[in-house]
This record gives sequence, structure tokens and C-alpha cells, in this order.
Amino acid sequence: MKNKIKEKLIELKNIHVNIKNNIENIHILKGINLTIYKNTSISITGESGAGKSTLAMTIAGLELISKGKIFFKNKPIHNLNENALAIYRSKYIGIVFQSFNLLDSMTALENVNLPMEISGSKIDSKRSFDLLKSVGLGNRTTHYPHQLSGGEQQRVAIARALIASPEILIADEPTGNLDKRNSEEIMNLIFKLQQENGSSLIIVTHDQSIASRCNQNVFLDNGFII
Amino acid sequence: MNNKLLENLKINLYQLLILFKLSYRELRGSIKEFKIIIISIFLGVFIICAVGSVSENLKYEINNKSNILLGGDFELSATYQPFPVQIKNWLDNNGKTTHIIELRTMLLSKILNEQKQRLVELKAVDNYWPLIGSLSVIPKIPINKSMKKIDNIHGVLIDESLKMQLKINVGDILNLGQTKIQIRGIIIKEPDRLFSFATFGSRLLVTKEALKDSKIVVPGSLVKYKVKFIPTNKNLKLTFLKNLIQDTNISIKTIKNSTNNFNKFIEKTSLFISFVGLISLLISGVGISNGVNGYLIKKIKNIAIFKTLGAKSSTIFQIYFLQIIFVFIISSIPAVLLGITIPFLLSSLISQNLITSFQPAVFINPIIMSLLFGMIVCLLFTIIPISRTYQIKPIQLIRMSSHHSLNNFSKKIKVLILVLILSLCLLVLKLTGDLKISFYIFLVISFSFIILISSTNLLFILLKKINFKVGSIIELSRKSLIRPGSFSKSIVMSFSIGLSLLITLNIIEESLNYKITNTINQQAPNYFLIDIQPNQIDKVKKITSDIIDLKSLNSQPMLRGRIIEIKGIKVDKLIVNKEVQWVLKSDRAFSWSNQIPPNVNLISGKWWPQDYDGPILISIGDKIANGLNLKIGDVIKFNVLGKNFEAKIFNTREILWQNMGINFVFILSKNNIERAPHTWIATLTNKNKKGINTILEKIVENFANISYISVNESFQAIKSLLNLLIVIINSIAFLTLFSGIIVLLGILNVSKKDKLFEVAIFKILGASPKKIIFLWLQEYFIIGIMTSLISFVIGTSVSYLLLKYVFQIEFYFNFLTISLLSLFVPAIIIIISFLKMFTIMYLKPLKIIRINNH
Repeated sequence: MKNKIKEKLIELKNIHVNIKNNIENIHILKGINLTIYKNTSISITGESGAGKSTLAMTIAGLELISKGKIFFKNKPIHNLNENALAIYRSKYIGIVFQSFNLLDSMTALENVNLPMEISGSKIDSKRSFDLLKSVGLGNRTTHYPHQLSGGEQQRVAIARALIASPEILIADEPTGNLDKRNSEEIMNLIFKLQQENGSSLIIVTHDQSIASRCNQNVFLDNGFII
Repeated sequence: MNNKLLENLKINLYQLLILFKLSYRELRGSIKEFKIIIISIFLGVFIICAVGSVSENLKYEINNKSNILLGGDFELSATYQPFPVQIKNWLDNNGKTTHIIELRTMLLSKILNEQKQRLVELKAVDNYWPLIGSLSVIPKIPINKSMKKIDNIHGVLIDESLKMQLKINVGDILNLGQTKIQIRGIIIKEPDRLFSFATFGSRLLVTKEALKDSKIVVPGSLVKYKVKFIPTNKNLKLTFLKNLIQDTNISIKTIKNSTNNFNKFIEKTSLFISFVGLISLLISGVGISNGVNGYLIKKIKNIAIFKTLGAKSSTIFQIYFLQIIFVFIISSIPAVLLGITIPFLLSSLISQNLITSFQPAVFINPIIMSLLFGMIVCLLFTIIPISRTYQIKPIQLIRMSSHHSLNNFSKKIKVLILVLILSLCLLVLKLTGDLKISFYIFLVISFSFIILISSTNLLFILLKKINFKVGSIIELSRKSLIRPGSFSKSIVMSFSIGLSLLITLNIIEESLNYKITNTINQQAPNYFLIDIQPNQIDKVKKITSDIIDLKSLNSQPMLRGRIIEIKGIKVDKLIVNKEVQWVLKSDRAFSWSNQIPPNVNLISGKWWPQDYDGPILISIGDKIANGLNLKIGDVIKFNVLGKNFEAKIFNTREILWQNMGINFVFILSKNNIERAPHTWIATLTNKNKKGINTILEKIVENFANISYISVNESFQAIKSLLNLLIVIINSIAFLTLFSGIIVLLGILNVSKKDKLFEVAIFKILGASPKKIIFLWLQEYFIIGIMTSLISFVIGTSVSYLLLKYVFQIEFYFNFLTISLLSLFVPAIIIIISFLKMFTIMYLKPLKIIRINNH
């Protein structure tokens, strides 16, 4: 009853993903049906190779599906071309990766500014600065990634993911490369900022304690939701 | 509406600014990755700009100073006979004139009983010479003082080279014919003499009075009378002067046509060097392409991040494209700056050897041309690697093995590549100014590239098919060379271009040298004797038969004249084959004989009877006849010593120029020609060098007017000029090898990370450093041998074709030189790659593995 009043953000219908390499054709997702609502958090858990990251990246429009339909706010995105998908990501999606993926040649502030620059929207350096401050890096804005610790790099990545106020924040094992203390701090930060920002959170994790903090849990096994 | 336009403009400018910002940030930390690309672009742009700047400067200076080089506004000249009095008077009365006599003669010196003699280019001048410019002499004494007759001894000036050849110095007294001359100075620069190396002998500058006293000019002597003329009427037309000298044997040079040949020479030389520069730029292109490829491989992660954050593929293309433009700018600007300073750096050299008081300047044309060439080649070779950014998927951030088949290009890119190739063709056309040459250049480059690519591919296919013993070092090397993503093909191709060029040049050089040496040793006479008077020929024959034998002397009568009409058409209206135009251009030497000369091979017709006494008949060289469209029975009109006569072609004969003997294009029937003032020419051929020298000494002692030319010395002079050219060309060809080295260094840089990982794994698996080094050496040796093989095939076939069809001489192959050259490249490849990679050997394998995993 509670879900009915919530607005549908993402709807996946019978999603299949096949990846071809030189040797074989790997069927990763095998008919996924999933609905994600606005301002909720959802965890994706499962064994290694179950298709967790693939599912998250499919929602981000980074993984091309071989069968099925994806809707964002009831509009199909599975038939969009690469340029339209790029615009979709720059407007609505923020991603945090396990390996941070910051640009080494740019400072923390420049990394956070990057999504605004790419989308061509006006650069609001004050907002970038405030975001970095809110992740605890107010005094590290001019530092380059190699001058930051792993935890600090991930904080910059979170600030970058949230700068364009995305409707969906995808975190792909965001604490996988961090120690326990840093992991806890980062997760607290992600949940806090998600709430403040009003985004939906999709989190890929192995950690049951993180999954239990989410509104919705999805367990993947061999390409199926169980 | 305007507001909307303004708004759009603002948005576009803002987006451009962002692009610049992103490109700059991407480049900021990676500029060192571009060092190979920067050197490659720098080298190509520098060569084209430097060559263009020197050539433009020379042309400008020559055209600007052409009146000094001509010595007046007009130069009128006549051979054999002085100017008719009425023409001489008209010239003297209507402007400034100086009268000059030029001829070749022998100059003797006797120092400590050692007699030395040299052929000199004698120039006798009057008091008005030079009309323009000034003569520079050491010691600095005015010309009228230094050449003054003191105590019956005339003052003369000589070239530095003559001072060395005859071991004479300022103050020495010598004999010139029947008068005494004293060396009063050494000529540093003669205003109306362009090249000091273009003439046969060294300069001997005398007064006209000294020449008269020497009595070396006798009727029939090959003497050139010249008048340098600056008319009082500045609007005097060339047509007026042409009318004035009509029906005489006088010819006119103007400021314009005097520099034509020089300009053509400069254009052709600079075209050739620019062409080599272009090849170097194209080789650099391979380096640029590899460099960009390597750079982008390192940037795959960044590109994927950009895409993840919502960047369109076109935006990413633009980010990297702007970086290339930026790199092009920072590499080409210093190249251009250095290029335009080359004429300034060479100015003292040019002033000393070529153009007095050469004043270099900066010309815009070579700057634009070099930048355009550089830009097009740079874009052509980077557009393919950059366009691959379209195919990098953001998912590669989490799955690097996703897609590697980056070989499909969009239509837009294909069109762009086509446009760039067309632009390159247009630029080559602009550089050569000749559609035919441009087409040939395009054809040769395309053909060579096709051969290069197909032979490289063929060798690599063969390498794929061969299998060695599993686990053997050679098998590991083979697999390493053919693995996907290996750069070995690029190394082979970039070195093959330079090496093929070197091999081609070397074979041509060896063949020319072989030809020259062979001709000198086997066929050519030792000496030419010229200007023998009819009353002296019998005495010369006697001297020869007394000392060696008469067979050693081949003598023929000779007079000079020019062709005026062929088959009733005036020469200046005739259109003939380019290769035979020289026959019509100036005076030609004729001979006559009613007896068929020895060793003559008639191609058509027959020789006239020995007692023939009808209308004048003529025998002509068959290739010349073909070029002039002449056949038996056709009539040629000649002017000899001011008199016109017609001659009918009676036969054609083969002329073997390469035997270096006396070869007349025209031999006339005897008739009454022998009564005309003429001289004899003779060759001396014998292996008895001592005897030959005695003959020459006797001839020079007895007949001051007879000059001799050593065929060997002339050959040596030609050979040294040829060698100088070959050294220049070879140096530039070596530059192309340098481009190859730059490509190799770039590739080693790119592949260092892979090699590092490979070494670590090998070490972990138990391979000893010695074994790994041996594996590498073998790998690079195979690459080197492939390069040598391909270059050998291309070099020998191209040189064979050039020698057969362009130079028309025998193909000569020096196996040792070519083998050394061919092994030179594998050696370079092995040494450089070994030095570059050696340090990797001593890194700890686990450390490498950890860094790689990170």
C-alpha cells in the first residue's frame, strides 16, 4: 500500500544481458524484472559473477541489453542511442565505483566540477566546494588524486556523483577498497547525502550490514533475482 | 532574433571554453607522453621550413641582385669575332659599357725548376669594368693600380684555387704567351660571377692590353667577346636591341633570363630536399600515430570515466583532438622559428661562396607551407587513433576486456581522411608547381607504401604460419612478435622507409662511380687538346709520333656556328623534344670530313664519296635527328662566322657520348669549309703517362695558344660535385632513419608497461635474466632482419628502375656496402631497445605485479 503512492523511477522488464568475447558468449542477466521507486534505497547482493555490477550498469545505461525493456519515469531508455544515453547519465545518474575512478590529471575540485562541465551547465564552484566540505575535504580541494588516501578519493568520487543532483545514485561496491573504519564513514556519508539530495540509491555490495540499511534488497544468483 | 543568435553564440563559446579547459587539464599531467610526437612533428616541419626559407632567400637575393650578377642591364656576347664596329659604337654612345674578352688558356709556373701548368679562365677587362658592384681582392688595392703595367710587366689577379694549384703567390712573375705578368692580388669575390665552382678553370683576371701583348688570341681561337651595357634610356626595349644585332652572331642576356637557370636550379634542389623532408614527415607520421595510440591506451580509463559521467563520444573526440592541435602548435612553432633562422645561420657561408653581402630575411611562404604540411600529416596520422575513442565503452571501467576490435570508422572519419589526403596532394602540387611531377610523387609514395605494407604483411603472415619447438626461445620470440597489439609491424615499416631510401641512393651512387671509373680506365682519352691552329696541327702530330706514336692522337678540324632554320622554320619558332633543345640554344661545334671517321656506326644513309664536291651534305647524330624530327633529305640552315649556308642531311650515325672522345653532332662534307678560319681539336690516349706528359710539356712550350684539359681531372671534379650532392642527400636520408629511431623509442615507451609485466611473470616462472635478455635480443633481431629484407627488395628494385630508365646506366651492386647498410638497422634496433629496456631487468617482480594490479 505504501509503495503504491511512491513514484516509479526505474522499471526493468525481462532484462537479458549477453557479453561476447573472443571465446564464448556469456549470458549474465537472464530475465530480470525490477522496479525502483523515487527516494528509496535498494541493495543488490549476490556471489561474485552473479551479475550485480552488470545490473547496476544496465540501469546507468552503460551496459547494453540484448533483450527486454527499461523505463525511466515511464519513458523507454533501452532504445536510446549512445548520445541520448550520455545525456540521460549526465542529467539523472551519479555513479560511485569501487576503484574511485578519478581523473589523475585533475584536482579534487576539478574532478567534482567535471559532470557540470561535460553537461555544459553553468559551473557552480561554490556548490562543488560545499560538497567537498560536506564530505570532509574542505581543505583538500586543490589536491590531486595521488595526494589523497583511498578513503579521501572515494569521498571526492561521492561528491562528484552528487554534484549534478542526480535522481539515481549508483554505488558499485563503494567500500570494496577501503578499511573498516573508512567503509563505515563512507556508507554513512552516502546514506546521509542520498537523504539530503532526495535521490534513489542503488548499492551493489557483499556486505549484509550495508544491505540491511536499504529499503529494498535484491539478491542475484547466476543472473536471476531470487 | 538577434538576441537569440547572440545567446547561441554565447552558449557555443562557453562550450568551446569548457572543451579547452578539459583538454588542457587532460594534457597537463601527460605532456611528457607526447615527447616523441613533439620530436616527430618538430623534425618534419623544421626540414620543410628550413629548406623553403633558404630557397626563398636565395631566389629573392638572386633576383634582387641580378643586375650586379649580370654586370649591367644587358649582356651582349659573341664567339670568335669581335662586335661589328657600328654595333660597338652604338652601344658606347647610348649608355655605359664595359668590353670584356673571355677565353681558356694554359698558365705555366716554374718554381725551382718544377714546371706546373693549369687551364685557366682568362678574363680581360677594360678600365670601366665592373659597371655595377665591386671586385673584392686581397690585398685591398684599387683594380686600376693593381693591374697596371710596370716595367713591361702586367699586373694580374687570380683565384685562391689557382694560387694553390700552381703554388704561386702574390708578387710572382709568370709568362702569359709572349708577355710577362705579375700576380698582384687574390680574388675574393668577382661581382658578375655567380658560382666559383661552375667553371672549368680558375680565374685569371688581366687587362685587355696584357691580353694583346700576350698574342695568344689568333684567328679561330675560341674567344668570347662580351659587352655589359647600361642604357641611358631606361625604357630601352629588348626588341630594339634584338633588331640591332639581327643577322649577327651576337646573343643577349637580360636581367630576367640571366637568373632563370639559377632559379630553376634552386627550385629543383629545394623541391628534392623538401620531398625528402616530406618523406621524413610521413615517417614521423608513423611515430605520431603510434605515440597517440599509446597515449590513448593509457587514457582508456579517463575516456571511460568521461563517458560514465555523460560525455558524448563527439565531446571526447574533440577533447583529444584539441590536445593534438595543442601539441602540434607547441612542436611546430619552435620548428618554424628554427627553420626561419637557418638562412641567418648560413648567411656568412652563402656570402662567401654564393652571393656577396647576402642579407637574409623571413619569408611567409615557407612558414605557411611547413605548417600546413605538418598539420595535415599530423591530423592524417592522429585522426585514426583518436577516432577509436568513439569505440571505447564506459563499461571498460569495470570490464577492460569488453571490446578490442577498434577498426571500424564512421563515415565522417572516412570523409575526413579522404579530405586530408586530397589536401596533402594539393600541397604537393603547390610545392612542385607541376601537375605531372606531383602525380609522379603521389604515385611513387603510394606505390612504395603499398609495397611496404604488403611485403611487411606477407612476412608477418609467414611468421604466423611457422612453428618452432614449443617452449624454445625462438618460439617465444615469434609469439611475442605476432601477438595482438604488438608494435613490431610499425617498427619494421618506419625503419624500412629510411633504409630503402639509403639503399636506393647507395646503389645509384655506386653505379655512377663505377661507370665513371670504368670509363676513365677503359675508354676515355687522357687529354683533350683545344685551339690548335691549322698551321700547328702537323707539328703537334710530329711531336706525338716522335715521343709515343701517332695512333695516340685523334685530331679533327672544328669551327663553331649556330642553327638558324630547320626545314625552313626559324629555330625560335620550333617546338622540339626537351632533351635536344640544347642543340639549338647556343653555338655548336662542327667538323667536316669526306672520309667516314673511324669507329662510326651509320644508322641510316651512307657516307658521301671521298671526292664529293656538290652542295653541302651533313651527317647528324641519330638521337638528335629523332628529337628534332629530322630525316635524310631535310635541310638545316647554319650561320658560321656571320655567313649563312644550307646543308642537306645525308646520313645519321650513332654517337656514343660515354666513350668521352671527340663527338660532333654535325659533320659536314668538306667542300670549301676548310678555308674558313677554324681550329683543330685532338685527344691524346695512351697508357704511357710519362710520354703523355712530355708531349704536353713540349706542346705548351712551343704553342702558347694551345690548351689542354685533363679528362681525369674533369671527371674527378664532376665526381666530387656528385659526391657532395650524394653526401647531402644521404645526410637527409639518415634523418629519415632518425625518424625511425624516434618511432622505435615511442613504441618502446608505449610497450614498456607490457614488457615490465612480461619480465615479472617470466621471472616468477623461473626465467633467468640472461634468458630474458636473449629472448628480447632475438625478438628485435627478427624485426631488424625483416626490415633489412624489405628495404633490400624495395631499394634494389627502385634503384634498378631508376638506373635503367632515368640515368640509363648499368646497375652496379656493391654487395659489401649494401650488406653493411642492411645490418646497420638491426644493430640500431637491438642496441636502442636493449639500452631502453635494460633497467627493467633489475626491478623486483612482485613489486611490478602489485603496481600492475593497482
